[in-house]
Amino acid sequence: MKARRDPVRPIIGLATMLALVGFWLVGSKVGLIDPQSFPSPDQFWAAAKQLTIGDGYADGRIHSHVLQSLKLICLGFFTATAVGVPLGLWMGWSRKAEALINPIFLLIRPIPALAWIPLAIVWLGLGDAAKVMILWFAAFVPSVINSFTGVRNIERPIIEASAMLGARGWNLIKDVIVPGALPSIFTGLRLSLQGCLTALVAAELLGALLGMGKVLYQAGLDIYPAMILAGMVPVALVGFALTALIDWVERRSMPWRANH
Amino acid sequence: MGEKLDRNQLIWLSAMGLLIFFGLWTLAAWVELAPRKFLPLPWEVVERGLGLVTKPFSGQTLQGHLGASIERYLRGFVLAALIGVPLGLLMGWYRLLDHIVTPLFDSLRFIAPIAWVPFAALWFGTGIGGPTMIIFAGAFPPCLINAYRGARFVEKKYIEAAQVYGASGPRVVYEVLLPASLPSIIAGLRIGAGAGWQSLIGAELIAANTGIGLMMVRGQGALDTSIVMVGMIAVGVFGLIVDVALRGVESWVNRKQGR
Amino acid sequence: MANIVLNSVSRTFQREGKDFLALDNVSFTCHEHEFVAVVGPSGCGKTTCMRMAAGLEFPDSGSVTVGGKVVNAPGPDRAVVFQQFALFPWKTVHDNILFGLRSMGVAKAEAAERIATNLKLMNLEGYESAYPHQLSGGMQQRVAIARAYVLNPDVLLMDEPFGALDAQTRTVMQEELLRVGRANPRTVMFITHAVDEAVYLADRVVVMTRRPGAIKEIIDIKPIRDAENWQQYERIEDVMDLASFVHLRTRIWRLLREQHNPGDH
Repeated sequence: MKARRDPVRPIIGLATMLALVGFWLVGSKVGLIDPQSFPSPDQFWAAAKQLTIGDGYADGRIHSHVLQSLKLICLGFFTATAVGVPLGLWMGWSRKAEALINPIFLLIRPIPALAWIPLAIVWLGLGDAAKVMILWFAAFVPSVINSFTGVRNIERPIIEASAMLGARGWNLIKDVIVPGALPSIFTGLRLSLQGCLTALVAAELLGALLGMGKVLYQAGLDIYPAMILAGMVPVALVGFALTALIDWVERRSMPWRANH
Repeated sequence: MGEKLDRNQLIWLSAMGLLIFFGLWTLAAWVELAPRKFLPLPWEVVERGLGLVTKPFSGQTLQGHLGASIERYLRGFVLAALIGVPLGLLMGWYRLLDHIVTPLFDSLRFIAPIAWVPFAALWFGTGIGGPTMIIFAGAFPPCLINAYRGARFVEKKYIEAAQVYGASGPRVVYEVLLPASLPSIIAGLRIGAGAGWQSLIGAELIAANTGIGLMMVRGQGALDTSIVMVGMIAVGVFGLIVDVALRGVESWVNRKQGR
Repeated sequence: MANIVLNSVSRTFQREGKDFLALDNVSFTCHEHEFVAVVGPSGCGKTTCMRMAAGLEFPDSGSVTVGGKVVNAPGPDRAVVFQQFALFPWKTVHDNILFGLRSMGVAKAEAAERIATNLKLMNLEGYESAYPHQLSGGMQQRVAIARAYVLNPDVLLMDEPFGALDAQTRTVMQEELLRVGRANPRTVMFITHAVDEAVYLADRVVVMTRRPGAIKEIIDIKPIRDAENWQQYERIEDVMDLASFVHLRTRIWRLLREQHNPGDH
């Protein structure tokens, strides 16, 4: 959400968070919060220690789980967007390409990424390959759609000016189509990333040797609420970090934009 | 940009695209690129789907599973809309509420909704409550954010005009703020509906005792690819219907407001 | 010879399923190094005429030739200045001006020289590395004109280039265009709905009617301008005070008025 310059804002925000943490601390002590449903701070602390510096959980410590998940996200995200973005740009530019490919794409598009999971498992088993396939579909669809609309939304006079100035071929792609569609491409990449994170956790919840979803899965099986909570922290942090990374790349790659 | 195509060209190219897709699929299945069990022919999938309408699988027919999914979906989605939209609007109108809720919301929104599955199962079980919570987790953020944006960024000139012409309190809300935020609210509902449906399938795959997701997982367990594909088609078709319906509402509202 | 010839050009558009005639048998010529302004009410097809010369649209019948060749595509030999400037927002002032030169394959050293000349001509020195959004509307349009001039195009096509500017900026730009045009004469087709502007800038004014778009009359300005020696005045308001100017302006206004149908708006 849009941050505004308002001096009371961070104070109230901080106060709210402190109040919640306070409620958690006190509520767990006096039995207001049932530790069977939601862990007490002590339990959470112990689980977090186990996961990070202790014996680990679900066959690994935090770094091996996170690295495994990051590896899959990178594989899925980059292979999907490497195909999806050029495909979307091409469909946006060429009406013929759109007419040819769009019907096929429309068959794939309504299927949520998570609905590919059973098929991926039947075809590729429970290993990394199936997960990359799921992540691929999760990232592919938004990257195509947004690259496509990005090209279509380039203002007409800009297109006409580039034709008048004689832009053709590679120069046209590099100097007009890509920069013109770039804001929309980044919207697509951000959605692709979100899709990847969701698909990753779901796929790992369904069976994995390692990974952030595996921690959650095991903790659910063991009815170990403190570890469920501890396992959600890396999910949020990785989501935050990758989104921040995309934001950073976006700002760096569009220095011409008015507001930054 | 490429020249517009005439009708014939469009139909011809589109048909060719579909033909290539189904042709390659059929060919791959025909030459048994993978065993038929893993890669059925297109019409075998259709046949399987029709068979499931009368013959139950995992305790339910196709429409039975779909019905169970839709019921959960509606519960979760309606709950998300009923809480998310008003909360978002109030946050947009009242600074204090904005200051209180936004940091909480921001700290939670990076968690993929599906990561709530273990807690959902722990708190609400795997029957109706657990999946409902997951749908809620998926659909709630878009509903809230878009209602918030709609309310927060109502153009000042409308509010000023209303004040100049002597409207106050509830009249400003009902006649100015709500209509001005409406397009954004509807957009949020549409995005939330999609996210909720996807979350539901995920939840059912992982922990549920009925539903289209369960049917797919059981099909996967039995290495019956056609059942999995029937499930994917059913999920896709229902999701598409909801999306098209809400898009219709969206463009109707936008047209009515002349945007 | 770089002239623009529209010969019996007709064009039909479809709107809401109905055909309507946008241009009906329009013929006129912009001779080499002549500045021709086309005026008319909105919807008279004046912009369509320019877009046909640019190769952005094509006639249903009749022909459009530039320098004797039939126009079949846009190209840097016919530089267009658009009403909404159409600068590339992701390119600096310098790179916007460089764009067409690169398409033409102009060598680096020569390109740098030409850009420097045009930056100076349009008073843009010091703004080379600014992005368009950092400039005022008037400055943006200077860049757009420099982007066109730097190509040394045979013809310049301008589509209400000052329509989006405020009144003062507009006046300054008109004076500058005249100054630049005197130093580097070009064949210009200039589309506008502002009668003052047309009379002030043009050698000839083509007055169009609408429904269907057709030519009402073509008025020679140059002989009168030369006879009355408008050039001696530096400022537009001094020229606009001259009886000869007022007379021409009134004459064109009358032509536009005659076709005005009160039920149209």
